[in-house]
Amino acid sequence: MRRGVREFVTVALPLLAALALAPLFYSNELLLFNFIMFLILAQGLNAIYGFTGYLPFGYVGFFGAGAYGFALAVMHLNASPLLAMACAGVAALVLGVVLTPLLRLSGAYFAIANLAAAQAVYQVISNPALQDVTKGPYGVTLSSVFAPALSYGVALIILAATLALIAWLRNARFGLALQAIREDPVSAAMAGVAVVRGRTIAWLLSALIAGLAGGVFAWHISVFYPETAFDLSFSIFAIVFTLFGGAATQLGPILGVLLLYGLYNVIGITVPQYFQLIYGVLIVLLVLFLPDGLASLATRRGFRVP
Amino acid sequence: MLRRVVVCLLAIACMAGARGAWAQQSRPADERLGGCFDGYLDKAQTEQASAPQPGQPGAPAEIRIGHLHASSGPYASISMPVYLGLKLWVEQMNAGGGAMVKPFGRKLPLRLISYDDQSNPGTAATLTNQLITQDKVDLLIADSGSVLTAVSVPIAREHKMFLFDPTGTGAAFFSKDNPYIALLADPVSTVWPRFLWEFLKSDVAAAGLTRVAILYSTNDFTGTQAASIRAALKAPGSPVQIVFDQGVPTSTSNYAVLIDNIAAANPDVVLELGYVGNDIAFLRNLQESGKNFRMVFTLYPGIETSTLLKNVGQSGLAGVFSYVTALAYSYPPEVGMTLEQFRGSWEKAYAKSGVEFGWNAIAGYVTGLVLGQTLACTDSLAQLDVRKSVFSLSGKLKTLIGTFELNEQGAQIGELTPIGQIAPEGKDGIHFTVVYPPAMASGKPIFGAK
Amino acid sequence: MLAHAILSGLVFGCYFTLVGLGLNLIFGVMRIVNLAHGDVVMLGAFAAFWLFALIGLHPLISSLIVLAIFALLGLPVYYLVVPRLLAARDSEMLSIILFFGVQQIIEAIATIAFGTSERSIPGRVLGSGPLHLLGQALPVAWVVSAAVSLLAVALVYLYLYRSRVGTLTRAVMVNRDEALASGIDVHRVSALAFGIGVALAGLAGVFSPFMLGSATPAMGGDVNLAAFAVIVIGSLGDPRGTMLGGLIYGVALMLMQTYMSAWANLLPNLLLIAVLLVRPTGLLGRQVRRA
Repeated sequence: MRRGVREFVTVALPLLAALALAPLFYSNELLLFNFIMFLILAQGLNAIYGFTGYLPFGYVGFFGAGAYGFALAVMHLNASPLLAMACAGVAALVLGVVLTPLLRLSGAYFAIANLAAAQAVYQVISNPALQDVTKGPYGVTLSSVFAPALSYGVALIILAATLALIAWLRNARFGLALQAIREDPVSAAMAGVAVVRGRTIAWLLSALIAGLAGGVFAWHISVFYPETAFDLSFSIFAIVFTLFGGAATQLGPILGVLLLYGLYNVIGITVPQYFQLIYGVLIVLLVLFLPDGLASLATRRGFRVP
Repeated sequence: MLRRVVVCLLAIACMAGARGAWAQQSRPADERLGGCFDGYLDKAQTEQASAPQPGQPGAPAEIRIGHLHASSGPYASISMPVYLGLKLWVEQMNAGGGAMVKPFGRKLPLRLISYDDQSNPGTAATLTNQLITQDKVDLLIADSGSVLTAVSVPIAREHKMFLFDPTGTGAAFFSKDNPYIALLADPVSTVWPRFLWEFLKSDVAAAGLTRVAILYSTNDFTGTQAASIRAALKAPGSPVQIVFDQGVPTSTSNYAVLIDNIAAANPDVVLELGYVGNDIAFLRNLQESGKNFRMVFTLYPGIETSTLLKNVGQSGLAGVFSYVTALAYSYPPEVGMTLEQFRGSWEKAYAKSGVEFGWNAIAGYVTGLVLGQTLACTDSLAQLDVRKSVFSLSGKLKTLIGTFELNEQGAQIGELTPIGQIAPEGKDGIHFTVVYPPAMASGKPIFGAK
Repeated sequence: MLAHAILSGLVFGCYFTLVGLGLNLIFGVMRIVNLAHGDVVMLGAFAAFWLFALIGLHPLISSLIVLAIFALLGLPVYYLVVPRLLAARDSEMLSIILFFGVQQIIEAIATIAFGTSERSIPGRVLGSGPLHLLGQALPVAWVVSAAVSLLAVALVYLYLYRSRVGTLTRAVMVNRDEALASGIDVHRVSALAFGIGVALAGLAGVFSPFMLGSATPAMGGDVNLAAFAVIVIGSLGDPRGTMLGGLIYGVALMLMQTYMSAWANLLPNLLLIAVLLVRPTGLLGRQVRRA
């Protein structure tokens, strides 16, 4: 456990400090916010994919549920932003519980079913029949609670909690049990690991993290459509960043987000006409030449990546 | 790559070619401009007219215009024409020495910084912020399509940047407490269909067509229009009856079953409100189904006429009603090119780009015209002065799409499009007959047989 | 109304079988998810469009050309990408990322080359007017597209079950490692399947202007979602399952359009989840559920 604390202090704290101070030096604060958001999403995805091997292709479903949980609490309950954040987490948790049976599937079946589930949630929320509740396809405006500085801070706190969770998972018995399940569920079960309970908890934690990310995203951008909150690229980005960095580590997804999302923005700003092309080529090359992520470069040489 | 180079060369050739025409035809506009629509002649303007000066201290080297477009993804087909139309305007202005900027009393070159958000709202948000905080643009233009425009609205407001909104028609963007936005080239969705419902309740009903079917795509743009039409048709005393009213997902690409269902409700009039792809699929399926309705109205035959003509064909469009945009009914402009001139410049610059000339191309150009007039009339580049300048154009600026008119929240309520009916012309062309409002009408509507 | 919806659904379902067929074959043989599938469909649509617009080629002839060229293009892509991918630890998941990259590349190039406007081929090219079938009027273009789809399914079935290389292909589907151990040239068999899968996607593209109204470089995403639903409802890897999935998808979609049109897109997704939960390997699939 002490190693978990050390990992958190050496990896997470400097990152958090840098992100807390960055707005003083760099004024595109929304870009920094998006970095935090993708760091949260990548680590949340890490909690389920890195530790159990389930790849939630529809991870954005929890994100969107969180965003709308937040929006509905603000619109209908006049909730304060912090209470609305709690609603965001609850919304994603409820969706997570509903989708727990999907864990019975494996591999691509799970990924695709999860994608379909996210689409289904999107189609319900954006349906004009629910206009009175969700504003349907017409989008929500939350200007009454708009507070960019505060929501930036809350995002940072969520990131800190997520990083602490990952550091704990990597070093606690529970996390090790999960990894045993990932490698071989049958042997793990025979060794006395509660397989179903273990991965259900990881699944719900992962859902909760995405929901909180969605809530703080809704709070921060304040005017959005269902297409925005359920944009499939949230899932894809989180997956690409996590895989590129290296799943099941704390540092991997962080590096993945910093490097790849950084590069994404640099390309988008410097050569917008070839944005998509360059990014596509980059991803293909990464998968072909670095399939196990950046972390594998170090682990192959015998280093332990925090 | 090669294509890019060719396009660039064409664009340069066009600029050179347009230089002459532009200088010639924009002169009357410049004269009007001296007055900035307010009747006073600015001192700086007179100085400028007598001799070009090195400019006052503090004059920037260029005016930076920030913009977003989507080159890929679901909004690309409406966003790219707007972008290219705007780009054409910028190139023409620069070919003529730049745009007149009143506070500095001289022409300044324009620099268009347009990022590609790839139809991704999250990326659009970051890039909007990038334009404001890093590129420090003087004027900020949102992407087209309400979903992409939406994310820029609160960001612009937070940074107290005035947002030029070309075609994001979502009614929710415009509120009394947000002074930092104006809709430039499309009427706001709640107002746009006004002539349509008036037409339905008057001439159409009088001809005995009272049963109306509404089929709309469930997105902000078409859903809001459907809601306004529904409300108007249901108003007390309306002679019209709605017999079918359904939304379909915007991704719907097949309407055969829906057409069959509509026919079962036995309507006289069918209104199908969708995006380009929806309208194409609907009109193709309608033609193939062999079903006939006495009147069919869809949005895009008048908005992206050449795309629709290429995809649906002359026979599929004949008899269909649509909005008549500047493509078929343009106004004599007091500022900017006429439709023919603009179309000529467009074809020269972008014939090979794969982006069809249509309403959105005009919308991009008109966005540029509003920008130009704003610069010519503003007291400073401070954003509230920019806003004042934009609003001072309201009711006065007349471009090829009609009179620019804003309500106090910044929503476009001018530039309303009349209703027209398509008739075949020549071997495979079409033309519009304006049928409503009466003051603009060029012919009578012809309804199908019962 | 009901009869029309069901009949249209069946015809539409045949076409959607074709849309899912190539994706399914590639997944079945290589256990990789070709996320760029929808974009290959888009390329097929543009190939047919340009062949028609430039030299007036009939789509039925274009479809043969597209089949041949796309299959040939698929082979080098296979050898460039897939063996390397399959060597990785979690290739099934990595393939999603890899082909996401491929998808971005295809869409970017298509946008630069073709522009962003909608394109299509007039429906009358495949025959004019509605066709009366069992008392219902259906567009001729639909019926032709459905017939071609059925033919393609039949040919894939014959390939897999009536040819030697098909038998080998099925052996690879069942267990790649054992196939390798028993001396089958796994890469040759897989490359062939990959080429055929790509060619089938291209073929689906040729008929997409008739079934989906029009084509744009951005259409791939929606096509993918439909294709996923079809093959998962059926069962990953089996063409007969794909057929069943396509028909269920088509009929369900049309029934929803008839009775609850605003919810039309929801049903396929719910159906997909329900089928997976009840029979995780699809309606015709083998039992491979884990733990």
